[in-house]
Amino acid sequence: MVEGQNKQAADIAREKLRGAMVRLADGDSAALEEIYESTRVKLFGICLRILGDRKEAEDALQDVYINLWQKADRYDPERASPISWLATFARNRAIDRLRTGKVRQGAVPVEEALPLPDNTPLADDLMVDAENAAQIHKCIQGLDERTRTHIRSAFFDGFTYAELATRADVPLGTMKSWIRRGLQKLRACLEASEAA
Amino acid sequence: MSNDKTPFDDAERDNPMLAAEHALGLLEGEELAQSRAKLENDPEYRWRKDWWNNWFAPWTDEVAGAEPSDVVWVRISEAVAASQRANAADTAVGAMQKVVSLEDRLKRWQWAAGITSAAAAIMLAVMVFAPGSEPGAIAPSGDETTLAASDPLVAQVPIGDTGLRLDVTYIPQSEQLLVGAIGLTADGVHDHELWLVPDDGSALQSLGVVKPGEVLGKQLPADIIANMGDGAELVLTREPIGGKPVGQDAGPVVAQGAFSKV
Repeated sequence: MVEGQNKQAADIAREKLRGAMVRLADGDSAALEEIYESTRVKLFGICLRILGDRKEAEDALQDVYINLWQKADRYDPERASPISWLATFARNRAIDRLRTGKVRQGAVPVEEALPLPDNTPLADDLMVDAENAAQIHKCIQGLDERTRTHIRSAFFDGFTYAELATRADVPLGTMKSWIRRGLQKLRACLEASEAA
Repeated sequence: MSNDKTPFDDAERDNPMLAAEHALGLLEGEELAQSRAKLENDPEYRWRKDWWNNWFAPWTDEVAGAEPSDVVWVRISEAVAASQRANAADTAVGAMQKVVSLEDRLKRWQWAAGITSAAAAIMLAVMVFAPGSEPGAIAPSGDETTLAASDPLVAQVPIGDTGLRLDVTYIPQSEQLLVGAIGLTADGVHDHELWLVPDDGSALQSLGVVKPGEVLGKQLPADIIANMGDGAELVLTREPIGGKPVGQDAGPVVAQGAFSKV
């Protein structure tokens, strides 16, 4: 029952967030504070994970919400849940900062990542759709461990092909081939799940 | 059949693969720039990148949350406020243009209805700086169509054969009534009270005591607004100083008029 109540609370929180996103797109700047209140912990966690530095991550977070305020009309409620879209948006902004050379790569590999001193478990209402989560988990488990590790490392640490190749001490072409074969299988598995 | 040992060259990539690489954040330099351009121009490609994003998004649940310091929100709200001030400056220019356009309309109303200049100036102020709205707020709401739909009602109430009259103007937009008694002087013994005569024959509704030599503006309550309209009749009665005493009948009607739309 408790689980059901949590789910219901999470659904309500998600709808509130969706509503705030729509109001923000209509130019209601008060909605931004509501969105910030309910999503900053998750989005800051993502920025911190990618950038590996509190100050850089705070700059990125600031950038995320200011950009969100300017571009809220780009959010399409038909296409993605608000938290999924915001998480992707934050991660992309953090990756952009890495790529434009503003930041020295400070992230640590997945296996070395330690819990941050002030980290916070995510509340249910900050979780992206559970059904999608189960499916991508199942599909990524279908890959060999090496490929899986590199794809996840690209996602969580923001490494490029070149950085992954250097860290694994393999030629760039080899790393590209590993990951691309993995992505090909991943796509086939995900599309099969959609067709089912 | 390819296996894990077969190279997978850049040239072999199809768009869904490129979109996956972009979504994962693997691209950099020129490849990243090309992919971004493709996102702008190719809806199918954009769809595919969103597709990957949606599938990868649940992974963000594995990332521990963290609390940013309070200064982040302060900086965000300052940036938003600064940007809004910049927008407001743009809007103010629009509002000024609107004032010019209103002034033109008022000149026409004045000409059509013979409203005194003082009353017209107050009307302008009331219309532009309606209560509860910022000056800038008129720009988004005040296009010509809505303005025309809320054109004022004007009535002239001649006072006997003195050549003097009351100018009464109702502005639907701000629910304001303006009563101009320019040129009239008080006799020190009487006041004059203005009344709206409801169409349905119900009791007169007081629009207040007229102040000779002044233009008075007042907010009308909903029950009076309900009876406002083209052709609505007005009467002016002579009362003791201070207006009709409670519990007594109104004094004699000394003037009357009717609203018309201009």
